[in-house]
Amino acid sequence: MSMCHDMNAPILQVVGLSVRFETPLGLVHAAEDVAFDIHETETLALVGETGCGKSVVASAIMQLLPGNAVVDGKALFSKMDLLKLEEKEISRIRGNEISIIFQNPSLSLNPIIEVGEQIAEPLQVHRKMARRESHHVAKGLLSRLGLGERSLMSMYPFQFSGGMNQRVMIATSMILSPKIIIADEPTKGLDRALARDVAAEICKVMDLTGASLLLITHDISLAGMISDRIAVMYCGEIVEMGKCKEVLGEPLHPYTRALLDCLPERGFKPIPGASPSMIHPPQGCKFHPRCPHKTQECMQKQRIRKIDGDGRQVRCWQY
Amino acid sequence: MAGDFKRMASCKATEWVKIRRLDMRGLRMALFGLLLFLTIIVLAAFSDIFAPYDPWNRFEPFLAPCREHILGTNDLGNDILSELIYGSRVSLIVGFGAALMATLIGTLIGLFAGYFRGLIDEMLMGITDVFLMIPQIPLIIILAAFLRPSFWLVALIMGALWWTSTARVVRSKAMQIRETSFIECSRSLGFSHMHIIFSDILPNILHVIMPKFLLTIASAMISEASISFLGLGDPTMKSWGMMINFAFTRGGFINGYWWWYLPPGLCITLSVLSLVLMGFSLEEREEETMRIE
Amino acid sequence: MLAILKAAQVSKIHEHGLIFKKQRRVLADVSLELEEGRTIGLMGDSGSGKTTLGKILAGLERPSAGSVIFQGRDISRLRAKEFLEFRRAVQMVFQDPEGSLNPRKSIERSIHDVLSLIKIPKSEWKERTLDIFETVGLSEELLCRNPCQISGGQNQRVALARALLLNPKVVILDEPTSALDISVQAQVLNLLKNLQKDRGLGYLLISHQPEVVSFMAQEVFVLNDGRLTKSN
Repeated sequence: MSMCHDMNAPILQVVGLSVRFETPLGLVHAAEDVAFDIHETETLALVGETGCGKSVVASAIMQLLPGNAVVDGKALFSKMDLLKLEEKEISRIRGNEISIIFQNPSLSLNPIIEVGEQIAEPLQVHRKMARRESHHVAKGLLSRLGLGERSLMSMYPFQFSGGMNQRVMIATSMILSPKIIIADEPTKGLDRALARDVAAEICKVMDLTGASLLLITHDISLAGMISDRIAVMYCGEIVEMGKCKEVLGEPLHPYTRALLDCLPERGFKPIPGASPSMIHPPQGCKFHPRCPHKTQECMQKQRIRKIDGDGRQVRCWQY
Repeated sequence: MAGDFKRMASCKATEWVKIRRLDMRGLRMALFGLLLFLTIIVLAAFSDIFAPYDPWNRFEPFLAPCREHILGTNDLGNDILSELIYGSRVSLIVGFGAALMATLIGTLIGLFAGYFRGLIDEMLMGITDVFLMIPQIPLIIILAAFLRPSFWLVALIMGALWWTSTARVVRSKAMQIRETSFIECSRSLGFSHMHIIFSDILPNILHVIMPKFLLTIASAMISEASISFLGLGDPTMKSWGMMINFAFTRGGFINGYWWWYLPPGLCITLSVLSLVLMGFSLEEREEETMRIE
Repeated sequence: MLAILKAAQVSKIHEHGLIFKKQRRVLADVSLELEEGRTIGLMGDSGSGKTTLGKILAGLERPSAGSVIFQGRDISRLRAKEFLEFRRAVQMVFQDPEGSLNPRKSIERSIHDVLSLIKIPKSEWKERTLDIFETVGLSEELLCRNPCQISGGQNQRVALARALLLNPKVVILDEPTSALDISVQAQVLNLLKNLQKDRGLGYLLISHQPEVVSFMAQEVFVLNDGRLTKSN
């Protein structure tokens, strides 16, 4: 994993991003005032529980949200605001410069097209490469991912195992050597051993290509393994962000601490209460109904954020 | 809400845009179909109000459209517009009757075959295969020719023959749902088979049965028309098919009396169209929900 | 202590293929005893037959050989009424939380179905529903929602509530938390532990996560190619 990002300007800068959905049940506050930077070759993990809005952030950046979404804020990528681009421009960036690895590999791959062709197709479309040549590149990439046998190129996704399909997915998203890769729960639904394999795979690819990775996951230990920095999301907000070791080693926000206590190695200590509704989120700090340290301040006022020197930040009155 | 929201978030939006567009188009078509169909039903239900005359009343025969008789009169001097309006009754009753019967039989057989599987499945599907092999229209023609032709009989025969495809669809769907864990849950809680079939499985396949039902009505209406046209329908009842038959046999076509044969043909087309539009858009919606899931 | 539910040399062979039947041995001579108030952990790779063993013990599938013994009697020989008693005493909770409830029924309907099944008079339904909701830690406002409108953890709690209404003695938990977030997983596991303490339930916990099994179970078995071995 790469560590040489500190000097560089961020490659992607998300500022004040908020996403709301208009639904028949009311306005869903899926993401609020989300801000983070991703530097070159860096891996940032967006960690949070199901429904906390972490996937929405990624979809918003790529303009992949449904029509009833209202998006505010900025996402600056090479001097462009991704959120304001026309469909034509953003679709040139999708896959070409920023690519996404989706959750379910067996569903995201076309079942009736050969694996090799699926990996090579972006080259033919975006780079106007000849079929033969593109297959050659695809084969090289697959073999770097450990699927080197010639026959594999002409097989179909259903003949592959889940892990192999995940590698194919990774290969399709890598083939155009994008600058940023967004991995949306790449290990969901895989059993533990396989999840570790896939994680290792992604790491290897990152090192190979020097791309930056935005890893979206609910698995905090996976995030700890492969990311440089971690942002913890709760109810649509980033509650804590900082270097991986610091956040996991000395968590500041009560939610981060409680989440780490839920881990098996700490004895499954549950967080009391349930995740709040995103239609009527709590006033003040969104974690206060479940927080053991809550004060009068937390319940009423908007929380503040404190930023240390090296990019560590936390949304809590305690600090 | 959490589920909806999760689904929204995990769905690729390019798909969403497509879905919404499809949905809007489908919805407009379905609405059009519904409106058309409701009009026909209202016409059938209140024929005596809408029809200007009793269809059996005799006026001067072979009248061209004029102010008193908007669509003219036929060879017996019956007002064609009134015939047309009253004719909707027979067509609708035959269509509905046949489709209702076919759907009921098909659903029951499909549910039992799909849920119990094994021997019951093989027996029921064997019966289905036998019914599939019967050449249906010829059988109806033969039966209608030998028995006293009546539109009730036609509806009954069609209903008794046309359940096979519904049964197959329902069976495969029931087999699929049977494997989901909420059915296993119900079994482990000790619910009876009947409770599971009718309370857990059936509501989850209604959305497949409904379009099937509508399309069956449509094809039953067409068949009724073809049988009547062949002269095997009920001559004492006025149906659209019968009207075309009379127009054909009594010189309407040769003399170019388009107001005689064209309106019933149009009515059949429109009612079938309305049903098909509704049926297809229901089917489409079903496919979409599957895609989202 | 006397075992309530026992698998005695259970084997299961799956047949597939239309004309040329191929056989695959899923379970081979598996014997297992479940007692009140104790948790037995069952581990194994995917496809090792864990779920099949669970379903056989719950009476949802029949073993190809061997027998399941409930309170000293073979369940295949029980009369209808006794089998119903067995059915109620042994409950199963499934892995897929969003699939374990009928998507077209409200939560309230799903609970009421069970209440009418065990012939509780209608006047007590509301009270019993609130009771069981409190037991599993759910709030009343969820009652009017549909399964897709509540979270995975809540779905799992409703499934558990339905099972508990029958006052079971043994609950077979098939990967009850593997589809849940870690914080919800911790909540559900602790809930299961508390329920065991209060009601003296016996659990068979099927899981592929060693941490979960060692947290919950007093005794752990491992299924490997259909054979059961005790693990330390």
